[in-house]
Order: sequence, then structure tokens, then C-alpha cells
Amino acid sequence: MKIPSAIERVLLSEEAIAARVRDLAAQISADYADADHLVLVGVLKGAFIFMADLARQLTVVHHVDFIALSSYNRGAVTTGAVRLIMDTRVNVTGRHVLIVEDIVDTGYTLEYLLRTFHARHPASLRACALLSKPERRQTEVLVDYLGFEIPDVWVVGYGLDYADRFRTLPYIGALKREVHEGGKK
Amino acid sequence: MGLRDDVAKILISEQELQARVVALGHGLNAMYTDADRPLLVCVLKGAFMFLADLTRHLEMRHEVDFMEISSYGAGTVSSGVVRILLDLECNIEGRHVLIVEDIIDSGRTLEYITRNLRTRRPASLRVCTLLSKPSRREIDVPLDFVGFEVPDEFVIGYGLDFAEEYRNLPFIGVLKEEVYQERE
Repeated sequence: MKIPSAIERVLLSEEAIAARVRDLAAQISADYADADHLVLVGVLKGAFIFMADLARQLTVVHHVDFIALSSYNRGAVTTGAVRLIMDTRVNVTGRHVLIVEDIVDTGYTLEYLLRTFHARHPASLRACALLSKPERRQTEVLVDYLGFEIPDVWVVGYGLDYADRFRTLPYIGALKREVHEGGKK
Repeated sequence: MGLRDDVAKILISEQELQARVVALGHGLNAMYTDADRPLLVCVLKGAFMFLADLTRHLEMRHEVDFMEISSYGAGTVSSGVVRILLDLECNIEGRHVLIVEDIIDSGRTLEYITRNLRTRRPASLRVCTLLSKPSRREIDVPLDFVGFEVPDEFVIGYGLDFAEEYRNLPFIGVLKEEVYQERE
């Protein structure tokens, strides 16, 4: 498959991602080996590919659930105010909850999710993210299972988009600066 | 792994699944162009795994969106009317829409979804399903892309569940009868 011209370079190859997802799944499977009622909560839209690959590698029994969020202001800069569009199907009280995110950037979204789920009295609550951009962090959040730390560049693929484009590339690519600084799509 | 002990047999292996998903991807690549910018509408939860693999083989410009639905329960089954828990983020008027489903059984839910989406006047509306159980069909719905026709058995894996479990099996299996009878 040819690499779109908007992509400057491949940051993480398909093989590198697959290997890391396997490692994460092995770690999660070991940590939750004795836990009943593990629920993976995937954050739409970004986490669906990561979820599909991670879940397939898990050897512990679990349920998969999804939530959808939206930020109140549509700009690139978020203040952290998040609106829950679709909640989980399952009641997580007394269950082990693992939030599955594509990327942790400012940390506001994950912080909101941790607060929201904590209030529901889960048996335990942890977070798993494929990517983290530590340079962008505005609030301290703990990511228990992290795939990769990456620099502050605009990344697309494997669930991550730019204006809904490039979301399903099988690798993580860095978008050319002139593409995302060029204004609208 | 405990889950696998509940599988009576593997109906479609991981290799067969993946090969077929590649072929379906080729079919979509031939059907749509960059200019069409199709919107793939994934019906949650069952289809997320299929969508994740299918879309990674697409070469044309496209977008994905999600719908989550739930049945109203007894009494509405025959009408196919479902409650939309999560509607599309995208306005589909004038767009080329492809519904991505895990399995088509009676066809009633799909028929309802297509009717619902048609009222929004998409440029085109097609359906791609991984599995189809023709012997269960109660209403005729056109399917544009079908991965596999399967017999009327309790299938699990690759997104399909029984009581929320088995979704993550990388193949399509048939659930042992005693497992679902035990819980009824």
C-alpha cells in the first residue's frame, strides 16, 4: 500500500505496533489473571483499531464496551471540558475497568474518564493507551499500560485522524506540517 | 485459554478470515474512488473487529463512523425497530455510505437501519457484512458484500459474542450447546 503524500514519515511501523500490542496484552493478561469481570472501555472513535488488536491477544476473559465523547469547543485547544455522548452499556460497579485510549495528549480526557468511572465504584480502575505525548501534558494522569511515548508531532493512522482522514492506515505516521497548518481540510 | 474450551468447532479459521477480509477490501477498492469518499458506518459492538481489519486494507479516501443500537425487547423483534443509542456523528446527505455489519440473520434490524439511513438521503447506500445466515432470513435485504455464508449455528468470535463473551476470539467458532443452554 502506498504512503499518502500528506505523510512525512512512518513513525511506528505495523510490525512495531503489533509487537508492542502483544507485549501489552501479555502484561494485562498476567495482571488480571485472577480478576473476574474485566471490562475494557474503548474510547471512540480513535481506539477501535487498538481495541480490536489488543482484545484478540488477551488470554483473560473480558467484556468490551465503548464510549463516545465530544469536547465542548471544537478548536485544536481544549480546556478539558468533555461531554459524554454515549455511556457504557454495562454497569461497571464492582468490575475491573480498563480504559483503552489511542493517545494521551493533554491528559484532560483521561482525567475526566478516570474521575467519571471512579465515582461508579469499580473494583479497580486502570488506563491503557497506545501512545502518549508527554510534552503536551497539562494535567498529571497515570497511564498504567503504555505502548509508546512519542514527540509532539501530528500523528495519524491506527485509529488516529486528521479531520477524519488517515484514520485507518495500518501504521502510525507523522503528518506533514504544511498539511495541518494549512487550515481546513 | 478457557474460552476456547467452550468452542465446539472452528467454522472459519483466522487465516481464512484474514484472507477473505483482504478480498473484501479489494472489492471495496474497486467499488469506490477517492472522489466518492465513502463513509463506513460500523454497527456496534459486533462489527468493530471486522471494521478494524477491513479498513486497514482500503486504498481510497474514506471515513468511519459508528452507530450503536439496542433492541427494545420482546414485541418489537418482528418489526426490526431498534433504539439508536449512538447516532452518526456525520451528516450523510449526499454521501456514499457503506454499512459494515458482523452478521445478517433475520435481516430485520438491517432493514430498519437502511430505512432509517435512507431518509437522510445518502448518494448511495450499500451493505458489507462479514457473515450471513440465509436460512434465518425473514426479510429480503440486498447485501452488496458478504464475507461468508454460514449455517444456522450459534457463532461466536471476531466480534460476535454470547453474553458479551468470546468476542475477542480471532476466528469464528460454534459455541457448544451446553454453554448456552446452561445460561438460559
